[in-house]
Formats: sequence, structure tokens, C-alpha cells
Amino acid sequence: MVYVDTILTVDNLHINFYTNNRCNEAVRGVSFQLKKGRTLCLVGESGCGKSVTASSIMRLLPPLSRIEEGRIIYHSEQGDIHLHELAANGPEIRSIRGAEIAMIFQDPMTALNPVYTVGFQIREAFLYHTKMAKAAMQQKAIELLRSMRIPAPEQRVNEYIHQYSGGMRQRAMIAMAMSCNPKILIADEPTTALDVTVQAQIFDLMNDLQKKHNAAILLITHDMGVVAELAHDVVVMYMGVAVENGPVEEVLTKPAHPYTSALLKSIPVLGQSRSKKLEPIRGSTPDPYNRPQGCQFRPRCDFATEKCLQEPEACSVGENHTVKCWHWEKVLANA
Amino acid sequence: MDRLKMLEKEGLLKSRQGSRAVGKFLQNKLAVLGLMVFAVILLASVFAPLITKYDPAMIDLRSRLSPPSWQHLFGTDKLGRDVFARVLYGGRISILVGFGGALGAALVGVSLGTYAGYKGGWLDRILLRVSEIFMAFPQIILVLLLVSILGQSLWNLLVIFTITGWGSVYRMTRSQMLSIREEEYVQALKAFGLSDALIAYKHMLPNALGPIMVNLTLSTAMFILEETALSFLGLGVPLHIPTWGNILNAAQDLTILQEAWWIWVPVGIVISAFVLSINFIGDGLRDAVDPTQQG
Amino acid sequence: MLTYTLRKLLMLIPMLLVITFLIYVGLELTPGDAVSYMVGPDALANMSQEKLNELREALGLNDPFIVRYLRWLGRALRGDFGYSLTSGVPIKDIVFSRLPATLELSVAALLFSTLLGSILGMASALKKGSIMDVSLTVAGMIGVSIPQFFFALVSILIFSFKLGWLPSGGRTMPGYTTFLDRLPHLILPALVLGITMTAGVMRYSRSSMLDALSKDYIKTARSKGLPEWRVNLLHGFRVALTPVVVLVGFRLPMLIGGSVVVEQIFQWPGIGKEFVAAVRGQNLPLVMMIALFTVTAVLVASFLVDLITALLDPRIRLE
Ligand SMILES: Nc1ncnc2c1ncn2[C@@H]1O[C@H](COP(=O)(O)OP(=O)(O)O)[C@@H](O)[C@H]1O
Ligand SMILES: [Mg+2]
Repeated sequence: MVYVDTILTVDNLHINFYTNNRCNEAVRGVSFQLKKGRTLCLVGESGCGKSVTASSIMRLLPPLSRIEEGRIIYHSEQGDIHLHELAANGPEIRSIRGAEIAMIFQDPMTALNPVYTVGFQIREAFLYHTKMAKAAMQQKAIELLRSMRIPAPEQRVNEYIHQYSGGMRQRAMIAMAMSCNPKILIADEPTTALDVTVQAQIFDLMNDLQKKHNAAILLITHDMGVVAELAHDVVVMYMGVAVENGPVEEVLTKPAHPYTSALLKSIPVLGQSRSKKLEPIRGSTPDPYNRPQGCQFRPRCDFATEKCLQEPEACSVGENHTVKCWHWEKVLANA
Repeated sequence: MDRLKMLEKEGLLKSRQGSRAVGKFLQNKLAVLGLMVFAVILLASVFAPLITKYDPAMIDLRSRLSPPSWQHLFGTDKLGRDVFARVLYGGRISILVGFGGALGAALVGVSLGTYAGYKGGWLDRILLRVSEIFMAFPQIILVLLLVSILGQSLWNLLVIFTITGWGSVYRMTRSQMLSIREEEYVQALKAFGLSDALIAYKHMLPNALGPIMVNLTLSTAMFILEETALSFLGLGVPLHIPTWGNILNAAQDLTILQEAWWIWVPVGIVISAFVLSINFIGDGLRDAVDPTQQG
Repeated sequence: MLTYTLRKLLMLIPMLLVITFLIYVGLELTPGDAVSYMVGPDALANMSQEKLNELREALGLNDPFIVRYLRWLGRALRGDFGYSLTSGVPIKDIVFSRLPATLELSVAALLFSTLLGSILGMASALKKGSIMDVSLTVAGMIGVSIPQFFFALVSILIFSFKLGWLPSGGRTMPGYTTFLDRLPHLILPALVLGITMTAGVMRYSRSSMLDALSKDYIKTARSKGLPEWRVNLLHGFRVALTPVVVLVGFRLPMLIGGSVVVEQIFQWPGIGKEFVAAVRGQNLPLVMMIALFTVTAVLVASFLVDLITALLDPRIRLE
């Protein structure tokens, strides 16, 4: 069922890595729908496959990895485009990259090229999506930097990334991503490398942009606080599986998956009373090469039974709220 | 290829533990090939008396410059000496010099690098500068300079290779130690009050052995090449001792070069094959030791 | 940039001082007396001990060691490096008359190996794991495993003696005037020297390119919709280039040493051939001074290379 305002559908995505002569099923069943003007947060602990999922949308997966199964569909104005079927660096996906879907990365210091000026790298984004003269591109780059609240943009545009401060680097990165007014912005932990105060500014900026251009944002984070504040929808991932998927209020208040519920208990969430005791999740994350059979969370789960040796199917908890757990009713009742 | 790997995954969940490095090395076809060539040449040299009945120094003026035959596999040289025997016996010295030089350089470099890398401070700074000075010289220039100061002999050559080679081993060991130093168990050992030398040599050094072995292998290859080049110029091992380089020395004579190819071509190929095999082994070791590389 | 330059210079000078000191110690330790370089063996035999001492005093040979060293260093800085033991010719004249030949050979080999090596290395990196990559890697290993002189001998045998295409040695012939006349003489030695170096450059640029291609900004560049050639050349190659330039910069002076064997085989009248002759003839002053000369060239070149790297890298240039 596709909503009119849905812009991206990811359906049962599976991605394997074939490095070190081994096979790592990094993503094993992720589905979600991204909607115009809304923010979807992908949460989960590090290594659970968030970045891999995000990269696969733009077909930016590293060599020795590939999409095994599932679909990624971009609902463009010209009709649906099956991103998963396009050639990896072919002309079709290139015309979408940067223009329709843009991405910002975790560490702007390494994600921007140190030997070119920031202006050069922003202009590059125009190069293949617009027909502008060089002077116009430069003017546009300056405007973009100004709209990102970078002081003295006329001068900054000709500087290199190492001359910027941490927060400014990420704003320059966002300026670059927003240069062609993309419909979808994928942000992979955009503030992890930044101070808390700068973090808030960056999120403010992203919010403004979303309002102005009605862009959909796929925000990747491992911070439940960020989720509570920014997300409209949430996808919780564990060991490559999207275990729970739904509107933010539902998921945060009525977690139906034991992992989500344990995650919420293990971290302080803004607005929750301080007196509440924090409980760390017991056990440790399994080795991706030595995965448990069936439900990935089974060895650490309080609700685990024999049945959990089989992979759980997606069950509907409420409208738009799904969970992959055999015992979700018990989990809900227990909360 | 990917499909195969997936089947593998579905079929048997292979969890190769234990000697992962050995397994990885054996998977590398070139390294295994190298190991075989290496073993053949090495054993042939060591057991030379069992393989050939000729004495490499025996002069037989009646059969001078005879081309290869069943009598003389690689023919004979200007003095009628059997070239095959000379290649076998020459290998003993050439390999000894190459390996001995690499070992000497490794002993000095590792023992200094381990301690200085762990302790840091002025000792490390001074040694670093000194190694820089040694490394600023083009290798062959420094070697020849030392040859002209110390004079030509087998032992001097070993000393010279040690002097010219320790610098790079020192730097490598040092950088290994610097990263190991940050690990927790080292801090713990320090807290136990173990002596510096004990921590450095007994507990840290074993963890740096992988790269050191790789370096030892590759510098053996380098020193064998250097010995042959020096002896070829007539400045290495004294000419009366047969070594690979000394055999090739004969090819400086243009008539030999043109007319008696059997004197110098086979030995050149043996040197190349031997050095190549060591390089393959070294490369295989490097991949096997390095956890970040994918196989 | 200025502080960077000064800092590098401050590291260069003490090293040169230490090296000149060591070389001087070597010179002093060599058998024979400085007087003997100046007077000639016959005159020396007839000279009385008193006369000899007078001469030593006049030459300052009885001064403390450090004074002698400083005086020697002062002379060396003014270009006076002493005299060759065998021919009595000033060492400076020997070095400078041999230098052009060595430079000609080195530059030719360097150009050849840099162009070929970096292109092959980068192509290899772009097609990592392909048959081309594997065969180039193996070819590179073979290249560094064959002794250079063996390679030279085989090439002389084939191209000079069997095919008769190219001369087997020397740099020039009577009647040759232009560079083009001499070119056939240059080809074989430059090729031999160049091919052994190509393997090194290739290996190095391959890993440098692989390193650059694994960086995050490559992914960023792709995420902007740039075509592959632009990603690989402007973002990959451009960044991978810096370390290759550094390597090549280091190679040039190393070549002055590295060409020793090739010069000897091809009878190329350069510094390397002179050096071998000096070592063979136990002409220690000349050996020492050529070694000092090459090491100074290496250090100065590495200083210049540092500066070039800094210019290529805005992180240092704008510091
Ligand atoms: N370039 C890569 N090479 C090999 N394995 C990778 C690579 N990138 C990610 N993986 C594997 O994919 C899994 C998911 O990683 P990732 O998506 O980066 O996690 P995160 O949720 O922290 O972003 C991990 O098990 C990781 O080992
Ligand atoms: Mg990530």
C-alpha cells in the first residue's frame, strides 16, 4: 500500500558483505516508507546496519557487497524508479544522486576532500545537474553558505575544509547536499562528531530546510533523545533486522519489541522522569559471523521461547506500526 | 564468485580459528609456489656435495669453456670449473650472506627498537636521528663506502649489511611498539611494577613479531641482491670464494658475455628465482599477518 | 608555510653537520697523511722529519681535531673538496665533470619509470582484483627480483650483440655533437634503470591510489552524482598524486647512487662509475667526497620534496 505522499519505499532489503572470504549478512530484512516533509529516524546500536541501509539507497555500497533481495523504489514526479535495479554507477543513478537524493555523512572532516576549496566542492554538485555559468555557480555557492548561517561566505567559499570549525564543516556539508534542492536528504549520524550545542544548531537548520522545501529526511542516529525530538517515524534496527517500525509517539510510548523496550529503559529520554532507573541490556551484541538462529535478539531477550528459533514475521500492532516479534502482545502487556 | 561464497556460507559455517594466519598463507598460491622454489634451491645448496660430484674449485684446463652437457650440466668456465657445482656451492655463501645480513640488521634494529620504542624519550630521539643519517645514504653508496673503509671479506660484508640495514628495522619495530604501548595490558603490566626491559622484550615484543618476520624475509631478498651486485663489481666477497655474484663476475668479460652464456645466464636465473620466491613468501606473510587486509 | 620551511631547514642542517663530521673522521682515519696527498711520494721520501713537521705546522695539521674539522668544513663550503689520491685532480672538478652524464641518465630513467609506473599503478588500483591487476603485481615482483646487472647483461646480449640495434656502452663517440646523436647510447642504460624502478613506483602508486579511493570523500563525490572519471581522477588521483611526487623526488638523488651498477656495466661516464673506480683503487678521499655529495643531494632533495608536498597540500600550505 503506497501513500500518495510516500517518496521512497524500501521493501524487505537484504545486503551481504563478502569481505575476508566470509559472508556477512549486514542487512537482513529492512522495510520502511519515507514520506514527503517528514523525518524518519533509523535507530540502533552501532554495527546494526544503518549506514549500509542508507548507502544502498544511493547505490553507494562498497565493492564486495551487494543487494541480495528486496526493493528500493523512488517515487519521483516522473513515476517510480526502481533504484535497486539500476547499474551501480550508471547514468540513471547519477542523475538522481545529488539532484533528487542527497546525503550528508558523519564526519565532515573526512567526507570533504582536503585538497579542494569548499566552494569547488559545492560547485561540483551543480556541474552535472544544472546548466549554470561558473560565476553563477560561485554566487549560488555563496548564497548556500549564507543560508547555512556561515559568516563571511564570500571569503569562506574559497577556503579549505581544515580552515572551518567542526560545526561549520557540517553546515558546509549540508549546503553541498542541499545545493540542488533534493527531495530526499539522507543524514548518517550528522552530529555524532559535534558538540551538543552545535548539534542543536544543525538540527534546527535541517528542520528549517525541511519546512522550506518539503524534503523528506532519513536521519540515522543511535541517540533516542534525537529520535524523540525530531522524528515523525521510527525504524528500530537490531543486527540488520528492522525489528520495529512506526510513528514516533507509538513506538516510544508503546514499544512492542523487547529490544525497543529494553533500549528505552537503558537510556535517559528527554521528558522522562529522572528518578527512573536505567537498566542496561543484558548480554552483548553477537558476532555478525556467528549469528543466533531465528530472532537475532533471542539470546538477550527475557521473552524468548522455543518459537523464537524461527525468524519472526512482521506483525501489525496498530495503524502503520509493525513489529517483528512472536511475543509482541506479551511485551506490550508487560510495559 | 559471490554465489560460491554464499553457498559456502549456507553449507558450512566455517569458523576458521587457531592458525588463521597459516591458513591464509597457504591459500596464497604465489606464496606457496615461492615456498617450494625457495626450499628446492635452499636444499640443493645445503646438500650440494650429494648432488654434484664436482669440486667447485677444481680447475680442469683440458675442458675449458665447454657448453652444457650431461657431464657438466651448466658447462664449465674459463678455468674448466664445473658451473653447476659452483652455482650450488655459491648458493651457500650467497644465501648465508643475505640471511646473515638481514638477521644481523634485525637483531640490532629490533633490540634497540623494542626498548627505545617502549621507553621513548631522549634515547629514542637520538637513535631515530642516527637511523635517519644512515638511511639518507643511497644503500649501495653506503655499502661501497664501508667496503672501502673496512676492506673486502665475508665477515666484513655481514657487518656492513648489519650497519646499513638496522635503521629501517629500528624504525619499523619502534612504530609497532608505539602502537602496542597504548594497549591496556601494557598499562596493567606497568601497574604490576614489572621492569621496563621485561615488559618490552617479554610481553610486547612477541606481539610485534609478525611485521618483523616480514621485514626479515624481504631484507634477506634485498641483501642477496646486494651481495650479487657487489660481487659482480668485484667488490663483495673475495673472488676465490664461489658466490652467485662472483660467478656472474665472469660476464664482465665481453667474450664470455657473448660466447659462453651458460656461465652467467643460469646463475642469473637462479638468483632471480630465489629472490622472487622470497618476495612471494614475504608478501604472503604480510597478508597473513595483517588483519586489515582482505583475502 | 614560512615556519614550516624554517622547521624543516632546522632539521636538515644538524644532520648535514653530523654527516660531514663523520666523513671527516673517516678521512682522518684513512691511512696516510694529508701531506702525502700534496707532496707526492718521491718528494716525501726525501723529506726530513723536521721539514715534514714544518710543513704539517704550516698546513695546520697539528691543530686540535675540531679546528681541523672546521677548517676543512669551511673549505668544503667554498667548494674546495681536496684532491683525488690517484690523479691529483681536484675532487670538485671530477664530480662536476661527471655529474651531467649521471643526471642525464637518471632523469631519463626517472621520467620513464614515473610515467609508466604511476599510470600502471593507478590503473591497477582502479581495477583491483582483476586479471590485469594481479598480473601487473606479479610482473612488479619479478621486476624487483631480477638483479639489475643481470637484466643489463641480458639486454646488452640481445639488443647490442645479437640484434645490433643499440650500442653496448659509452655515452658518446667522436664526432657526436647533438643530444640526438647520443640518444642511442642512452636508451639501454636508461631503460634498464627505469624498468627496475617502474616496479617500485607502480607498487607505490597502486597503494596510494587504493588508499585515496577508500576515503570518505570519494563516497561524497559519488553522492553528488559525479561521473566515475571525475571521481577517480579529480578526487582519487589528485590526492594519490602527492605521495607519488614525494617518492619520485626522493628517487632522483637516490638514483645517483642507484645508477652505480648500471653506469659500470654500460661504461657510462658518470659519478657512479667514478665511484666504483675510486673504491677499487682505494682512493678514499674521492670515495668519501662522492658519498658526501650524494647524501647532501638526497637531504637537500628531500627538503625540497617536503616543500613541494606542502605546496600541494593546502593543510600545510595555509598553516
Ligand atoms: N566497508 C565494509 N566492509 C565490510 N563490512 C562492512 C563495511 N561496512 C559495514 N560493514 C559491516 O556491515 C555491518 C553494518 O555496518 P554499518 O551499517 O556501518 O553499521 P551502523 O549501524 O553502525 O552504521 C557491520 O557488521 C559491518 O561489519
Ligand atoms: Mg554508521
